[in-house]
Amino acid sequence: MTDKKIPLIETKNLKKNFGDLEVLKGISETIYKGEVICIIGPSGGGKSTFLRCLNMLEEPTEGEVYFEGEKLDAKSTDIDRHRQKIGMVFQQFNVFPHLKVIDNITLAPTLEKKIPEKEAKETAYKLLEQVGLSDKAEEYPRKLSGGQKQRLAIVRAMAMEPDVMLFDEPTSALDPEMVKGVLEVIKKLADSGMTCVIVTHEMGFAREVSDRILFIDEGVIAEEGTPEEFFTNPKNPRTKEFLSQVL
Amino acid sequence: MGPGILDVLFEYWPIFLKGAIGTLRYAFIAVSLGSLLGALIALMHLSKSKILSSIASLYVNVLRGTPLLVQMYIAYFFLPIAVPVLNNVDKEVYVLIALTMNSSAYVSEIIRGGINSVDPGQNEAARSLGLSASHTMTKIILPQAIKNILPSLANEYIAMIKETSMAGTFMLYELMYTRTLLANKYLSWQPLFIIAGIYLIMTLVLTSLVKLLEKRFSVSD
Ligand SMILES: Nc1ncnc2c1ncn2[C@@H]1O[C@H](COP(=O)(O)OP(=O)(O)OP(=O)(O)O)[C@@H](O)[C@H]1O
Ligand SMILES: [Mg+2]
Repeated sequence: MTDKKIPLIETKNLKKNFGDLEVLKGISETIYKGEVICIIGPSGGGKSTFLRCLNMLEEPTEGEVYFEGEKLDAKSTDIDRHRQKIGMVFQQFNVFPHLKVIDNITLAPTLEKKIPEKEAKETAYKLLEQVGLSDKAEEYPRKLSGGQKQRLAIVRAMAMEPDVMLFDEPTSALDPEMVKGVLEVIKKLADSGMTCVIVTHEMGFAREVSDRILFIDEGVIAEEGTPEEFFTNPKNPRTKEFLSQVL
Repeated sequence: MGPGILDVLFEYWPIFLKGAIGTLRYAFIAVSLGSLLGALIALMHLSKSKILSSIASLYVNVLRGTPLLVQMYIAYFFLPIAVPVLNNVDKEVYVLIALTMNSSAYVSEIIRGGINSVDPGQNEAARSLGLSASHTMTKIILPQAIKNILPSLANEYIAMIKETSMAGTFMLYELMYTRTLLANKYLSWQPLFIIAGIYLIMTLVLTSLVKLLEKRFSVSD
């Protein structure tokens, strides 16, 4: 992590209700440039909802979200422009099944950033090479394994050259033997200086890659700290209970 | 009893042929124009605007909830009164308007269903990449929805082939109208079996074409 802390994403008193259900109960948090943050916590605690508020896939009920100093949930905000700089990777991959692997990657850069087809393809091939998928470029996603689909989803997001990457349980839908390959890709990304916010149940991985851990429980950040503090000396009884169950 | 079915078919086949072509043509026009109108209704239905979506929903409910024959009568007798410019056009147009509107209601539900059948994760992935709403629709959602839409549209065409039989009531030259023509020649029952046979052949052939179409689409899955 860099010494000078430049805020990248800021939430202020972020609240989200689904009908009567209060899912986020006021989260104020700052994510700095270059930080790698892992979000952990019990199921239903609001981890995904929090992450999805950061790129406005969920509209906050109350409170604010700032990205690079701009308020995202303002009427005048061009959200598409910001989303181009906020990559997101989903548990279910969500690759585009009707497009070849290469076109999955070049679609958004050519359409929305007006990057010439040829240049976009070159970038895409480089990215595919980095994740070991060069030979799959002309295939349709149905020919890929789960792990390969997820690596495709990651480079598809990377092709937009985002300033931050959000991951929502990127390995939870994978067969166990596929998990390692995907985690390695994410780790490489994190080590390269990319700001990452990762919701995960992989405790070993969280401990290894993150600068900071957020423990979200019942709609609030119940505890946060460096992995060292968090795993060896948790303060909140809820954290202790959670860790005793998962470790 | 009079002459047999085959005798009637051999003597009057040009009439049946003309009727069959009329049927296919009316069904084609109704479903084609109905698809354009139906796409518009579907977009209204899916839009965020409450007003637009309730108008679309009302339109669909009225047209699907009342008999086509009643709609045809209304078009035939009321349209010329309500819209005087239509007074000079061929009577055929009124009936076609009814068929087209009726078809558009069914098509709009087909399109809406096709769009809704696409995994919502596709929309989220596209939007999170920064794709605009319209690019997401045209490049991600519709290309996937079309697989469900096209076979259903073809089925709508097959259904419409049968529905157009009501247009004969208004003297439009389609397959069922041949019954009226031949009844003048004291042929009461033979034409009915020929007509039924031709409908059956048309729908069976088209149904097997749709099956082929569906197969081709599922291969590219
Ligand atoms: N679109 C929605 N509509 C209604 N309720 C929702 C919606 N999305 C999430 N919820 C509810 O909000 C709560 C928090 O969900 P969220 O997905 O954020 O939890 P999570 O911490 O990510 O859990 P998990 O570890 O199981 O993924 C849950 O009770 C969930 O049922
Ligand atoms: Mg979740």
